[in-house]
Amino acid sequence: MSASGATSGSESAAAPHVELRRVTKRYGAVTAISDLSLTVDKGSFTALLGPSGCGKSTLLRMIAGLEAITAGQCFIDNIDVTDTPPAKRRIAMVFQSYALYPHMTVRQNIAFSLSVAGQSRKAQDERALEVARILQLEPYLDRRPAELSGGQRQRVAIGRALVRKPEVFLFDEPLSNLDAKLRVQMRLELAKLHADLGTTMIYVTHDQTEAMTLADKIVVLDKGVVSQVGSPLELYNTPANKFVAAFIGSPGMNFFGVDIAAANGRTASVVLPGGRTAEVGITATAGAGPAELGVRPEHLAIVDPNDPHAAFAGAISIIEHLGNSTILYVDTPAGQLIVEGEGNLDAKSGQAVGLRLNESHARLFGETGAAL
Amino acid sequence: MSASVQSADLVAAPATRRLTRLNQIDIVGLLITLGTLIGAIVWAFPLYWGLITTFKHEYEIVRPGVQLWPEHFTFENYVHVLLQTKIGYWYINSLITSGAVTLIVVMMAAGAGYAISQLNFPGRRFFWWMILASFMVPIPALIVTHFIVISQLGLINTLAGVVGPQLIAPVTVIIYKQFFDSVPKDFREAAVIDGANDFQLLFRIYLPMNWGVTTALAIITFIGAWNLFLWPFLAVSSEDKMNITVGITQVHDNFGVSYGRDLAVAMLAALPVALIYLIFQRRVTQAIMLSAGIKG
Amino acid sequence: MIRSSRSEYLTAAVLMAPFVVIYGLFFVYPTLRMVELSFTNAPLIGPGKWVGLDNYFRLASDHLFSTAIWNTIYFVILSVVPGTILALVIALGVYRLKGWLQSIVLAAFFLPYILPVSVVYRIWGWMFDKDFGVAQYLIAPLNDGQRLSVFRTVPLFMPAVAFITVWWCLGFSLLLFIAGLRNISREIYEAAELDGAGRWIQFRRITWPLIWPVTVLVFTIQLILQLKIFDQVYLFTQGGRIDANMVMVFYILREAFQLNKGGLGAASAVVLFVVIAVLSVLQFQLLRAREGR
Repeated sequence: MSASGATSGSESAAAPHVELRRVTKRYGAVTAISDLSLTVDKGSFTALLGPSGCGKSTLLRMIAGLEAITAGQCFIDNIDVTDTPPAKRRIAMVFQSYALYPHMTVRQNIAFSLSVAGQSRKAQDERALEVARILQLEPYLDRRPAELSGGQRQRVAIGRALVRKPEVFLFDEPLSNLDAKLRVQMRLELAKLHADLGTTMIYVTHDQTEAMTLADKIVVLDKGVVSQVGSPLELYNTPANKFVAAFIGSPGMNFFGVDIAAANGRTASVVLPGGRTAEVGITATAGAGPAELGVRPEHLAIVDPNDPHAAFAGAISIIEHLGNSTILYVDTPAGQLIVEGEGNLDAKSGQAVGLRLNESHARLFGETGAAL
Repeated sequence: MSASVQSADLVAAPATRRLTRLNQIDIVGLLITLGTLIGAIVWAFPLYWGLITTFKHEYEIVRPGVQLWPEHFTFENYVHVLLQTKIGYWYINSLITSGAVTLIVVMMAAGAGYAISQLNFPGRRFFWWMILASFMVPIPALIVTHFIVISQLGLINTLAGVVGPQLIAPVTVIIYKQFFDSVPKDFREAAVIDGANDFQLLFRIYLPMNWGVTTALAIITFIGAWNLFLWPFLAVSSEDKMNITVGITQVHDNFGVSYGRDLAVAMLAALPVALIYLIFQRRVTQAIMLSAGIKG
Repeated sequence: MIRSSRSEYLTAAVLMAPFVVIYGLFFVYPTLRMVELSFTNAPLIGPGKWVGLDNYFRLASDHLFSTAIWNTIYFVILSVVPGTILALVIALGVYRLKGWLQSIVLAAFFLPYILPVSVVYRIWGWMFDKDFGVAQYLIAPLNDGQRLSVFRTVPLFMPAVAFITVWWCLGFSLLLFIAGLRNISREIYEAAELDGAGRWIQFRRITWPLIWPVTVLVFTIQLILQLKIFDQVYLFTQGGRIDANMVMVFYILREAFQLNKGGLGAASAVVLFVVIAVLSVLQFQLLRAREGR
């Protein structure tokens, strides 16, 4: 039931394609996931993002039916599949290790599910050829996985999933076994695949770059709990808590302690380390007291040390020239801050500088880590 | 090393020591290799001697002196044996029983090994324990009751009766189970998602991925069944039904001892398994290591 | 994984069925029957009366039984100890060879193991033959120039059969030792050589301790294996002093089949079983203890 040619993410009005309702996963005495709910829209590319051990793979496997759900329910297309075996869920999965059958050729690997279902050799070969064409695997159909490169193997794994015409594609960190350059290339291919097929895709990764570039919706997970759900830009610009703010974006957000002097519903006056003040927009109620301020490197600017509008005075510690940008590590009263500047910035280590803060892009975080 | 060693000595000593050891190593090493080669020749001699005797005429065999190569090469011993004894029967019997044992054991062990490795069912632990425990019961001790069981089934003096008790092969089950355990879970999950049931998993994934093991186990089982003496000896009394290992001990010439013929029939008995070993050396070696790994 | 228990149990039943049937028929039942039989005075086939431990007392007082036990132990010592040592020594030599030379040499030592026992019997019967055997050229000078019927000379019987058994079975132990030697990283030897250790020191301080687990394994496997000795002893003793050369399994068969005393035969089988079971457990513990260290 793939809606071919449909643009991703535009069917937000439709019922969720995949839904996990209040699921709990226990391994003996250990509770990995507790009372978690999440929905995946039809035709969307949803990423499950988080560090190791956050439960993202477990969730994926519960959706696949490879792990039993201790409590709660799983729905695919509004059908309760909580107790349905994986083969009957109309899903397909691409494993991190690809799990290509080493003793079978590419053609046999791709057509395996068809052969299991008892389809004729002719039908199998036709379908395999079709899929191979889409993935540019035609010249390799008679090779064994051992003879293929990493990228080719990955495509075979995708092909094996593709041939089943599933309703939902599941990806378990498929790019982590590839080298950096190949990863970028495969990312583009996956994005193209999604654009062409329009099938719902759920993608597990620990790499925020992959999630940001591929997904239209990201679910950030922290120790078995959903930290925030939103589009990449939402997560980037308006992180709901410190965890998300720190996890998303590279180089990461700077954090330092501040003192809230006064706050009304819409802004808070904070005292920065070093004595200067800043006005930061907030969305929640906050009282006076200590808090944390987060600022992204690109929202700090190097200015003259005597600039009256500078938020900090500091000295440059380390400079990294990347060509299109420059990363500077500046020692300030707020600790070492990372600043992203122009590519041809002229600066020297040890140089005294001032840092200007873009107040409209700074975020305040309270004691619990939640954004204010 | 006394504390008063001069530093000059320290510098000089290693060099000279190394030099002498260099000479030493050459000699000793060479001697060891030579010794090993001589050992191999000595070890192989009895087999060679038995073999070469079969190609001599009887009068040459009983002549005093050691002839390493026959004066007159002859096949007459083999011709006699092939025509005058029941060796044909024995060969066929051995082939049938060894083949049957191999086939049944491999299938049974693969199935049971897979079930214990991959499936969850009541009694799984119990069966596993039973298999491990069966190591401690020596088969010769069970010979008596095997005989009783087989005779109760009316299978004494039949090929089926010979095959029966040989089907106990705990080592095979254990090896299969271990190899199936080592197949990464990913393959199973991928195949399950693709819709495969357990039989398809076993025959299309698990067994093909472990084909080497199956070959090794089959070969070693076949050789073991071919070479078995005690049970076939007890279970069969008529010459027609004997396997070849037993049969050759029953060759009694009515005209006194004939060394050439006795040895010829023995060589014929050993020929198939020797060939299998020489061709499948690697697999046999692998199988031996596997089964020893289990016992350890 | 989500799956229906029923289908799992059914599949398991089908896959385990052949095993269960065979095992039950040829292992479980015979073992139980053997134990049961040992407490009766039944003949080989047919029922008998319960006699409790009577059979065991009979065994204890049977001179032939104790002969069988001692002969078996004697044989085991004669074959397992030299066999293990020899296998290690030869392994050290074969291990140094390379390529096709190693393959040929290994085959020379291993091929006997592939031979059926009756073939070994024929070969060595011929070697030791009193009248025309080639071994007599070595034996006669040691025997005042007289040829000797080795297997008819009672004190020589066991040593001779043990010798032949070592020739026959060495290949197995050899393989295991070679595998064990291969597991020792070459670098350790290189480091030792840089430290100035000579060949003997290398063996004593590196090879021997590191190969010890394999040595124990080989020794115990052979020990348990040779306790069940029968084939060679039976074949070589034909026409000779059977009583003097009796071993455990031979005794079992004699009682059960020749004398038709099923109960007594079963009892002696149980004794053998207990001995081997105890040794197997010891072996298991010994190896586990080593691993634990």
